[in-house]
Amino acid sequence: MDQLVNRSWRDPELLLKALPSVLLQTLGFAAPLAMTFILTFQRTRDFQLRWTWDLATWADVFSKPHYWTILGHTLFMAAACVAACILLAFPIAYGLATRFRTLESEIKILITFAFITDATLKTFGWVLFLDKKGAANYLLERLGFPPEAVSFLFTDWATLLGMIYNLLPFAIFTLYISISNIDRNLILAAYDAGAGKWRAHWEVTLPLCKPGIWAGSVLIFLLGVGVFLEPKVLGGGTSPMSAELIRQTFETRVNWPLGAALTLVLMVVSVFIVLLFTRVLNMKRGGFGA
Amino acid sequence: MTSAPILDIRDIHKDYGGYHALKGVSLSVRRGEFIALVGPSGCGKTTLLKHIAGFEDASSGSISIDGRDMAGVPAAQRPTSMVFQKLALFPHMTVARNIGFPLKLRKAAPTEIDARVKEMITLMELKPVYLERFPGALSGGEQQRVALARSMISSPKLLLLDEPLSALDVKLKKVLQSELKRLHRSVGVTFVHVTHDLEEAMMLADRICVMRSGEILQLGEPTDIYYRPAHPFVAGFIGETNLFPVTVLSRGKQTVSYRADGFSDDSQTLPTGLVSDAVTRGAALMNVRPELIRRVGPREKVDCSVKATVTEIFVRGGTVQYRAQTPDGRDLAVEIRGTSELPMQVGESVRLGWDKKDIWVLPPGEA
Repeated sequence: MDQLVNRSWRDPELLLKALPSVLLQTLGFAAPLAMTFILTFQRTRDFQLRWTWDLATWADVFSKPHYWTILGHTLFMAAACVAACILLAFPIAYGLATRFRTLESEIKILITFAFITDATLKTFGWVLFLDKKGAANYLLERLGFPPEAVSFLFTDWATLLGMIYNLLPFAIFTLYISISNIDRNLILAAYDAGAGKWRAHWEVTLPLCKPGIWAGSVLIFLLGVGVFLEPKVLGGGTSPMSAELIRQTFETRVNWPLGAALTLVLMVVSVFIVLLFTRVLNMKRGGFGA
Repeated sequence: MTSAPILDIRDIHKDYGGYHALKGVSLSVRRGEFIALVGPSGCGKTTLLKHIAGFEDASSGSISIDGRDMAGVPAAQRPTSMVFQKLALFPHMTVARNIGFPLKLRKAAPTEIDARVKEMITLMELKPVYLERFPGALSGGEQQRVALARSMISSPKLLLLDEPLSALDVKLKKVLQSELKRLHRSVGVTFVHVTHDLEEAMMLADRICVMRSGEILQLGEPTDIYYRPAHPFVAGFIGETNLFPVTVLSRGKQTVSYRADGFSDDSQTLPTGLVSDAVTRGAALMNVRPELIRRVGPREKVDCSVKATVTEIFVRGGTVQYRAQTPDGRDLAVEIRGTSELPMQVGESVRLGWDKKDIWVLPPGEA
């Protein structure tokens, strides 16, 4: 006991033990972030980086509403994706954890396979499916629908569809874990106390899934904010999202300082939103006392 | 005083896809009774309890509570309340909300719920400061009281207890056992208590129902179960015992004549009252409890006696248990009140005896 209490950051042995982890964190995380930050104070001229140390890039970022519109659009799309994923994943995860116990591993393997298939491939697959002359329209026409019944490819709806499709497994798995960790006796206790099926769901299952819902939401939100494949391929680049804007700034416009600044803005805003919601929903302690 | 039974179970069968968990169980429980269901794990006692609670549907047979047939009545609408083995307190609700939950579901007014919760914590001797805490912050014994309070608040007709004390340490268990007994006496609700601990059942229950492999082997008062077991399994399950094989030759109105095997009895007759009605003629078992056997002198007159060699001594404190082996290889258990000087030593040849009034003859069966 005493040994643990007396340990401080000055303890040389402890410092030595922490060194590998500290080094890795510094090299892999802190250093690149610092360099990105430094980069924002430089300029590019004639496709060359100039060490200038001024605030021109930041002035540009804060004066052009265009960047902020894209950021707002990105956050909205990510939030919509979170909502859709949680709503879709809940019944799937619930069924998996309670009803289909016998087929559980088979279903999990199928979801995992769909999950690890390359996202680029799947996203282009959706293009083939949703195209004016694609599989969906072909089938619908056969069934007697008017031609080109499916015509939302290259809109935000298609982007959202692709995002949901690619990120849904994160929600399914986090929710699945939280639902299957609920003691079945708690549900029985709710029935015993006089609760019907829906009431037991609302009073017991759902509140106990809160940590899982939260974990899935954070994961999907942060990944959703960073998507560039779906808006490009399925959205057709008509309304770009932040990640695509950053890519263009780096690659097409070769304006590295601006790209770095936009990256930092996106990061800070996303992390701020997550922290804000953690605070508001009191999620730090899992939503209820120890 | 003859009122209809509060719980009437008639010939319940439960088949889990080929596994016969309950094989025709019938049980009638009187109003206000404390009944214990005991048996080894897998005997069907918890399954039976789940049928009463409404968590399981029987394959055939009927259950009625207070004269009302429970077929098709979901758990939520049954006048029963269960205390779960692992308590199943809601971790996301405070103690007050846990206890008040059944009343909230019955749409009681918040002020009424508050008043009833306060009443329950007084009854369960819980401190009011606990009300705003979460169950996870309470000790095992306190959680137990909260679980009981939650089960009692809706004034159920039947309180079902599924081994709620099994996870507690011995000391706390003793405290809560007497608490249960007190609670039963003060509220007058019918208790159905499932346990694998026979001592607990003997202490608490008015009647004990011993189950094995989905069947009831015996239902009776604790003294019946202990001193007049109907089945060798019951005799052996409830504390240790000695079973001597005997052969019943004839059964008369006053006496039963028999042949002793492996021990001596000069008269070879027994009063009929000491022989189970199920025993007629042929093979039977004589049950003699270890504490009713004593060491006797070589020429001392005693009803039944046997020679044996002491093989093992277990000093338990208040009592000392001896193991002895008869010349024909039978192991005997003898329990004698403890004294600082042990009256027998390992390896010693002794004569052990018992009185006829202390025996019970039961039919043979698979122990």
